[in-house]
Amino acid sequence: MSIANQVKEALYSVIDPELGINIVDLGLIYDIEVNKTNDVFVTMTLTTPGCPLHDSIVGGVESAIYYINEVGKVDVQLVWQPAWTPEKMSDQAKAMLMG
Amino acid sequence: MNGLSVNKKSETNIKLPLSFIFFGLIAFVVSQFIFFINSDALTNGVFRLPEILMGAHFLLLGWIVMVIMGAMYQLVPVVFLTPIWSEKLGVVQLIITTVGIISFSLLLGFNISIAVYGAVILIIGILLFLWQMIMTLKGQENKNILTLFVMAALVCFLITISAGLALSWTIGFGSSINYTAILHSHILLGVAGWFTLLIFGFSYKLVPMFSLSHGFKMKGSKWAFFSYILGLVVLIVSFWLELPALATVGWFLLWIGFTCFCLDIIEIIKKRLKRKLDRPFIFSLIAIGYGWLIHTLVVIFRIIGIHQDGIWGWMIFLYIICWIMFSILGYLYKIVPFLWWTYKYSAQVGKGNVPLLKDMVNEKVGVILFSLFSIGTFGLAFSGIMQVSIAVQLFQGLMLLTSIGYLVSIVDVVKK
Repeated sequence: MSIANQVKEALYSVIDPELGINIVDLGLIYDIEVNKTNDVFVTMTLTTPGCPLHDSIVGGVESAIYYINEVGKVDVQLVWQPAWTPEKMSDQAKAMLMG
Repeated sequence: MNGLSVNKKSETNIKLPLSFIFFGLIAFVVSQFIFFINSDALTNGVFRLPEILMGAHFLLLGWIVMVIMGAMYQLVPVVFLTPIWSEKLGVVQLIITTVGIISFSLLLGFNISIAVYGAVILIIGILLFLWQMIMTLKGQENKNILTLFVMAALVCFLITISAGLALSWTIGFGSSINYTAILHSHILLGVAGWFTLLIFGFSYKLVPMFSLSHGFKMKGSKWAFFSYILGLVVLIVSFWLELPALATVGWFLLWIGFTCFCLDIIEIIKKRLKRKLDRPFIFSLIAIGYGWLIHTLVVIFRIIGIHQDGIWGWMIFLYIICWIMFSILGYLYKIVPFLWWTYKYSAQVGKGNVPLLKDMVNEKVGVILFSLFSIGTFGLAFSGIMQVSIAVQLFQGLMLLTSIGYLVSIVDVVKK
């Protein structure tokens, strides 16, 4: 499995503690890039700017990625543009929230 | 992706907000105990007795103001994306404000003629808080309507404490100022200005966050702000010029502002993605409904000419308890678990299983407590207005026991 895929897999373990849904299914992960030296660059967002879980979730993303053996540096960039929308959620996340 | 990166540490050391909150919870129980042993005065609608003033200030300053200060130390950095200006100043402010509240409230009850000395200590503490918040908000990059609500609330708070100092000064040393106008301005700006504007501002952030709402417009927010501010100004002018007709206009403007706020909240809730809302949060939403109902009743009372002091005293009581305190009781069931979760589990996210925020607090106990608070409050107001002494004592006893239960339920959170 490529490192990018391993990273995505690892991010399923990062759960939003308010909603009880992982951040991948919530559609918070915009982009995962891995360079030649296996440094990982993640671009992500949160459901709303000013989310009190800001530091916890970003820190959780870094921790989950560092658990992968081959990974070099980890750089998580939190962005508000493009803004998160409900359409970015997986069907499973939608069902959990709206069911 | 070319979005603006916003990686910033935004968390405050939780010891600071939690210290404010736990002092507040103890002051809450103390205030309920004071009211319980003075329930005769409540029955007779005599609210200006030293003991009732002591209980009221333990409730308003010790409980509500301290909890709000603690919540602001946690919420302002995350909501406005700017760190607290000085956490050291926060600790100094906590100590001075605590000493000020205890000394001022006790002096009001036991030696009102020198209460001004307690007031001076308290005001130093509050001024340090205001300075802290102004310096913190100055660091916010993109100011918005929420900033306006919070800044206006802080200004109201400053005027409230200035008026409070003038009242204490008058009691201690006498003066020729218009005591009644200052007293009414003090109550109005403290209760409707500082508390309400602040709850408006934070609700515009917290309600969408807790309901995961999306696509709402907040069209009424500017109307809510300007109408409410204008209402406060008109009411203060009416107090000073003694113009009852103008007061009716002022209350009506407050009602318009509150209604605009309610319509926005209804839209936010309608557009939520989270179907099943947490029960403590629902309690905070119900408090908004109570707030609107009380604003409506006040306007009706003004129009049909109900002016009895006793009834207006109970209306202020209901406003403080049903709108302000119930909002805070509900939000605190979200804020304290979050603070403790952040302290204990934040660093473990991504490394292993961590509990969810809702696992940190016993919602079922919360529902029982919130129901008992509602029964106690309405029972107290009804039996107070009807002047049934034994019922007032019974319902105030219920409030006291429920406040202890609430304190224990919050202490339980920090044991997890």
